[in-house]
Amino acid sequence: MNNGHTHVLLIEDNPGDADLVRLRLVEGDSAVDVNCVSRLADGLASLTKQPPSVVLLDLNLPDSRGAETFRKVLDHAPGVPVVILSGQDDEALAMKALHQGVQDYLVKGDITSSHLERAMRYAIERQALLRSLEMSRHQQLEFKNQFLSHVSHELRTPLTCIHQFVTILIDGLAGEVNPEQRYHLQTVLNSVHQLRAMIRDLLEATRAESGKIRIEPRCITIGDLIQQAVSMMAATAKEKQVGLEVGLDSRIPFVYADPDRVLQVLINLIDNGIKFTPAEGSVLIKACIVDADPNMVYISVADSGCGIGADARALIFERLYQDPNSVDNNRSGLGLGLFIAKELVELHGGRIWVASEVGNGSTFSFTLPLYSLAKLLSPVVTYEGKLREAIVLVKVELTPLASVSRTTWKEVCQQSLETLRRCVYLDKDLVLPVTGNVGFSETLFVAASTDVERAPVMMKRIREQLEAGAGFQAAGLLKVSASAVPLPAPEDGKALPELVRAVAERITEMARLGMDLKPVPESGNGDASASKLSVPD
Amino acid sequence: MEKPKILIVDDDPDLRRALKIRLRANHYDTVQASDGYSAISVAQKENPNLIILDLGLPAGDGFVVLKRLQDSDTLSDIPVIVLTARDPQSSEQKTLQAGATAFFQKPADNNELLDVIRATLPNPWPGTALPS
Repeated sequence: MNNGHTHVLLIEDNPGDADLVRLRLVEGDSAVDVNCVSRLADGLASLTKQPPSVVLLDLNLPDSRGAETFRKVLDHAPGVPVVILSGQDDEALAMKALHQGVQDYLVKGDITSSHLERAMRYAIERQALLRSLEMSRHQQLEFKNQFLSHVSHELRTPLTCIHQFVTILIDGLAGEVNPEQRYHLQTVLNSVHQLRAMIRDLLEATRAESGKIRIEPRCITIGDLIQQAVSMMAATAKEKQVGLEVGLDSRIPFVYADPDRVLQVLINLIDNGIKFTPAEGSVLIKACIVDADPNMVYISVADSGCGIGADARALIFERLYQDPNSVDNNRSGLGLGLFIAKELVELHGGRIWVASEVGNGSTFSFTLPLYSLAKLLSPVVTYEGKLREAIVLVKVELTPLASVSRTTWKEVCQQSLETLRRCVYLDKDLVLPVTGNVGFSETLFVAASTDVERAPVMMKRIREQLEAGAGFQAAGLLKVSASAVPLPAPEDGKALPELVRAVAERITEMARLGMDLKPVPESGNGDASASKLSVPD
Repeated sequence: MEKPKILIVDDDPDLRRALKIRLRANHYDTVQASDGYSAISVAQKENPNLIILDLGLPAGDGFVVLKRLQDSDTLSDIPVIVLTARDPQSSEQKTLQAGATAFFQKPADNNELLDVIRATLPNPWPGTALPS
């Protein structure tokens, strides 16, 4: 603007007003060219094609009226300064426009040429300032991320060295150590682990802040994950003489979540629980279904520690917050754990909260979405308003050869899942979502409406199709087996949706147990049909 | 019986020394290189059974080494375990795609690392205890 030409896009449908504005612009001192359009649609097209220095905008156009008009322009070209030229002196509308990002609001009848020229110049300058502010904010954030990433990398190198040599000493690779020395070395090692966790949290929090955390949900059994978390924390709890207790509702269906991330949340909460519980106390981890909210699982970690005051409760999930009354000041960490836990839970569509009273311990709870098999199962298990006569659950196990890299294996598993989806009868069969924790070998399940006699044919077809899949032969071993799903007796007189739900529960249970165990026999159902089949390899 | 030979490539001499102690205690022979360039020449000369590779290296970083190993007629079959301070979210996929067998972030758990070494070495290796 200062030195060069000002390109003005004038969006104005009244020819008289347009001419007047043009006249005012030409009267001024600076070099101006004006592109005038009479419809908003043409204005938006011109904004895209050739962004102007400034937009002069009438609000009432043939294809848009009032506040709608400037909103559309701002959405379309957020970086271009907009000055409204209105026929009416409407202070409320003017303020609204400014708050939403318009640079100025002029009343047509009052415009002089110097007035207009100054308004345009200031609009352009203000917009440029805004842009550079936004850019420097962005740069600062980027710089902070890079800095933290660099710092965490640099901290890891000496930490690795400490870790290596301490473990060499503890393991007696440099000569025998006496019990007292071992005890001291173990203390060093614990601090190394703590430092490592802090470095990890630092990066993780940065990622959460910039929305860079990814989750990969699958069907998981929350009980297994809780047990895993508890066994990982057992040593820490034992050392502090804090008991870990687990209470699981055995009827919890599959949970749809990223197992690694849920484990991270659990460990964080259990670790906190242990930290704030005095010796001889205990931490109780529970999972249950709440009738009022049937689509979620409720998981809680309760400690018998000092509790959290109301002030701290309100802030505890904030980044970098630390309770000043926390008992264990020398082990307080960075104050990032709960912030990360909250981010992770919310990424899954759940929520996290705390209930606590000073002196009476704290209970942290979070929810995760359940996977509804019943909904998907409906076409598989019902036919003309009746339950199908027989349903078989086919189990496909994929085990990689030792030489296969994890990336290749991931691709093979993904392809196999696709193949499996293609080769079953879509209207009658269903490939269950990937179940279990992320492991090297994968287990996939197909629920098929076929009887036990016909299952071998189906298993053969699945095997052939999977083996024909690109790269499978070279990458892994395949095992296909099947088991009949015991169906509820029709004379139960239950409604169909209830029967479907019962089947879904059984299938979930069978998949959960990996079908290595015999399906749980149902009372009053005889259950003679639960035979196990296997196609010879 | 000859022991399996592992090439340790890392620019930190202290870490090379630590890994050497740890690996020898587990009945492996070790040879070392401190930069990307010598990693290749040592590999050619010593013909190791496995390589533990850092990513941030002078004279050709870990990715350059991986590429040169892959392109070589004689070295492309040697399994490579990457052991780096870098972030797995940004580096793990890239190194596996470049041909590495496994990725560990420093500081790595000794037992996990040894497990993967045992699983990765062409087996059964005479004279080496197999994982139970």
